[in-house]
This record gives sequence, structure tokens and C-alpha cells, in this order.
Amino acid sequence: MTEAVLELRGLGFEHPGVAVIDDLDLEIARGDFVVCVGPSGCGKSTLLALLGGHLHPTRGTIARRGHSRTIYQDGGLFPWLTVRQHIAQGLPRDLAPARAAHKIDEWLEVTRLAEFAHHHPHQLSGGMRQRVELARALAAETDILLLDEPFAALDYQTRARMRRELASTLADRPRTVVLVTHDIDEAVQLGDRVVVLGPRPASVRRIIDLPSGRPRSPTTPGVADAAHAIMKELGLT
Amino acid sequence: MTRGRAGAMTLLRLGLPAAIGLALLAAWWLACAAGRFPAGTVPRPGDVLRAFADQARTGRLLEDVVASLFRVAWGFATAVVAAIPLGLVLGRSLATRAALLPWINFFRNLSPIAWIPFAIVWFGIGDPPAIFLIFLATFFQIALATTAAAGSVPRVYYRVAHELGLSRGAVLFQVTFPAILPQLITALRVAIGVAWMVVVAAEMIAVRSGLGFLIVDARNGLRMDLVVCGMIAVGAIGIGLDLVFARLARIASVRWGFER
Repeated sequence: MTEAVLELRGLGFEHPGVAVIDDLDLEIARGDFVVCVGPSGCGKSTLLALLGGHLHPTRGTIARRGHSRTIYQDGGLFPWLTVRQHIAQGLPRDLAPARAAHKIDEWLEVTRLAEFAHHHPHQLSGGMRQRVELARALAAETDILLLDEPFAALDYQTRARMRRELASTLADRPRTVVLVTHDIDEAVQLGDRVVVLGPRPASVRRIIDLPSGRPRSPTTPGVADAAHAIMKELGLT
Repeated sequence: MTRGRAGAMTLLRLGLPAAIGLALLAAWWLACAAGRFPAGTVPRPGDVLRAFADQARTGRLLEDVVASLFRVAWGFATAVVAAIPLGLVLGRSLATRAALLPWINFFRNLSPIAWIPFAIVWFGIGDPPAIFLIFLATFFQIALATTAAAGSVPRVYYRVAHELGLSRGAVLFQVTFPAILPQLITALRVAIGVAWMVVVAAEMIAVRSGLGFLIVDARNGLRMDLVVCGMIAVGAIGIGLDLVFARLARIASVRWGFER
């Protein structure tokens, strides 16, 4: 078995008087693409904040082997920085200036943002902004990528395109990924495993494995069955 | 924007106010020529123009302008230097905010004019009391605006900064400060206008130079032409100061706050 990069044991989190996560166990291996789905308000984003180290568990433990970067639904970019400056911010600090400039150019190419290098976030479309987030997060060369409903604010077509781009970018530069989403299609098209969370306080209700290869289409064998199983767990069928 | 459209916009922006100014001037001149004002209450435009020329020739107008700007610069700069750090602390610390905000609001609502007796008793006459009044008039405003701006910086920025491994100092200068800058520039723009109004009032009391003194001195000598001359200088410099701060909004790294 591959080494576990994230290990959650009996994880619990409470806001004063409100239990958000209760007794959650999960193990995520290096290179895994895990998608967490659950009812609205069940604590998916809180789980991601815990994984990112922005919140601390009130019960249980999280063992994290490596650094993480998070991509947010919207607003994770600094409006006063240009695309180029955002990517530069993501790079390791000890990089020589010439090497850093080369790396930035490379990421601008990968994310097709070269001609927008000197634009600020408010001058970009929603899809472009998410590509900047992706470039900044991946430029860091950290082990873990946390995605907090990154495509939820995008229109249908852009969302579908971004899924494909994410899958192809990760195929060349594998990372351990945890994606939280309410979008079941997104979950079954991108994830290696889908973790279905129960209503608040969230705990793991079921883990569903998906066929290999990404991104999958709705007609890929096993995808429709997985989607059906998720919907059943969520009480949607 | 096409060159033709840009030209039309410039004409609109400069031409319309100039046209209104000319219309007001014509109305003033006509009313004076028709003898509509009792003698000695409203000067004729020609008298004001002559007063301007005299003041400019003797150098007194320039001296008064420099004296007023000097006081505003000191009072405003000290207020900015003291108020922004305080506002940043208040914006980020709930306990400090709860303790101090009511008092900042209390002093903010006190007119600087109410402080004049203390300003004279504590600082005597000359520049210090005027600078003190300008400081008071702007300090609480800027502190409050900075507090509100720092308190509304999206939490996600700090999460990103945490993941980027920024130190506390780097978070302050690379996240909090740039995030509040557009709101801060707007607050400074309002505050500089207040500072300019207050300096004129302060100079009517505790000093013997500056545009406020020019106006009150002219009134004492029943020189209404000079009073209007001083008023026009105050208004024109006020517009100039506002334009300087409005220009700050065009800096590339803050434009986002004005374009969204």
C-alpha cells in the first residue's frame, strides 16, 4: 500500500455549541484523488480547512505528510497582484531569479495565460481566475492540493472545460488531491474515490471507488453506477 | 475608448464646469453692474481680480498659501502616521476594538472648533495649535476608516497567506495593507478636504498668516474683495488637493478597488 499522506483518526470539530464534524476516519494515499461530497452545510469546507491546517481539530488527529495548497471557489486571488505576480508567489522561495522567471513563463504557457500575464484578477474571466489559482498552487510543488468547490462559480461549459484541464495538468504533474464539491458529476468524473459524508455533524457514510483514467465521461463504464450510489447515499433517489 | 470619444469626454469634463463658471461670473458681474447688492456687501469681479493681482505681486498670497499648506501637511501627516497603525490594530483585534471604538467615535463627533480653547491654552499661538486642530479633525476619521477596512479584509486572504508561509510582517505589508488601500485612499481623500476646511477656521483664531488669516484680516479691514480673493484661493487649492488624492486611485495596484 502507498504511504498515507493524510490520515484522519476520530476527527471531530466543534464551533461553540455546534458539532460540525464527528468521529471521521479517513486515509488518503500519495497520488490519490479523493472527492468529498455531502449535503449542503454538512461541513465539507470545514474539513478542507482542517486538512489545510487553517483550523485545529477539537477531537481526534490529522497526520499530514507534506505541505498543502488550497484552491478556493472564488476570491482566493489577491486583487492587487497580476497573474505573473500570483504565480511568482507560489514558487519555492529559494529559486534563483532567472529560474523563477522561467518557471513563471512555463506555468503561464501551461495554463494558457501568457497574454494575460500583466492583468489583475478583476480583468479576467472566472475560468481564467481559477487557472491562475491552479498555476499558483501547482507552482508551489507541494504534495497536497486541496480544492474547495473550485468550479462552483463557473458556468456549465467553463466548468466542463476546467475539469478536463485540471485532469490533464494533474496527469503530467501528479499530486495528492482532495476536492470537496456538491456536484456529483464532477465527483465521478474526477475522483479515484468518492467519500460520501453524512449530514452535520459530518462523518464518513460510504467510500465509493471509481474506475481508473480521468476525466471520465458519463458513459464510462462504472460512472453511472457510482453516481447512482452517491445519490442514493445522499437520499436523492 | 476611441480617440474621438475620449476627446468628447475631456471636453465634457472640462468644458461643462468652465461654462458653468463663466455663467456664474457673468451673473455676478451683471448683478453688480445693475446695483443689486447694497454698497460694500459684495465686491465687483474686477475689484477681486485687482486684489488677486496685488496679493500676487506683493507675494502675500503665496506666503499665505504656503503657511496654510505647511500646517495642513504637518497636521494631516501626523494624523495619518498615528491613525493607520491604530486602525490596523483595531481592525484585527476584537478586544481592542471593543475597548476603544466607542471612544474614537466620541472624539470623532467633537467638532475641532470645540478644541480651540484647549489648543490655544496648550500650544499658545502660531503653527502648533492649528496643526493640533487639523490632527484632531483627521486622526479619528482616518483611524475609523482604517479599522473598518482592516476588519473587512476577506478571511480567505489570510488563509492563502498562511499557506504561502508569510511571516506576520509580510502578512501586514503584503496582504492587509494592499487589501485596505483603496478604502484608505478614499478615506484620505475625504480627510484632506476636512483638514483644509479646518486650517482656514484655525487660522482665523490663533495665527497671523495663512489663507484663514487673510480672510479674517480682510474682513476686519472691510476689504470684501480680498475676502473673496481668499475664498477663491481656498476653493481652488481644495480642488487641487482632492485631485492629487484622486490620482492615487489610478495606481495599477489599487485600481481594482475602484473598477469593480
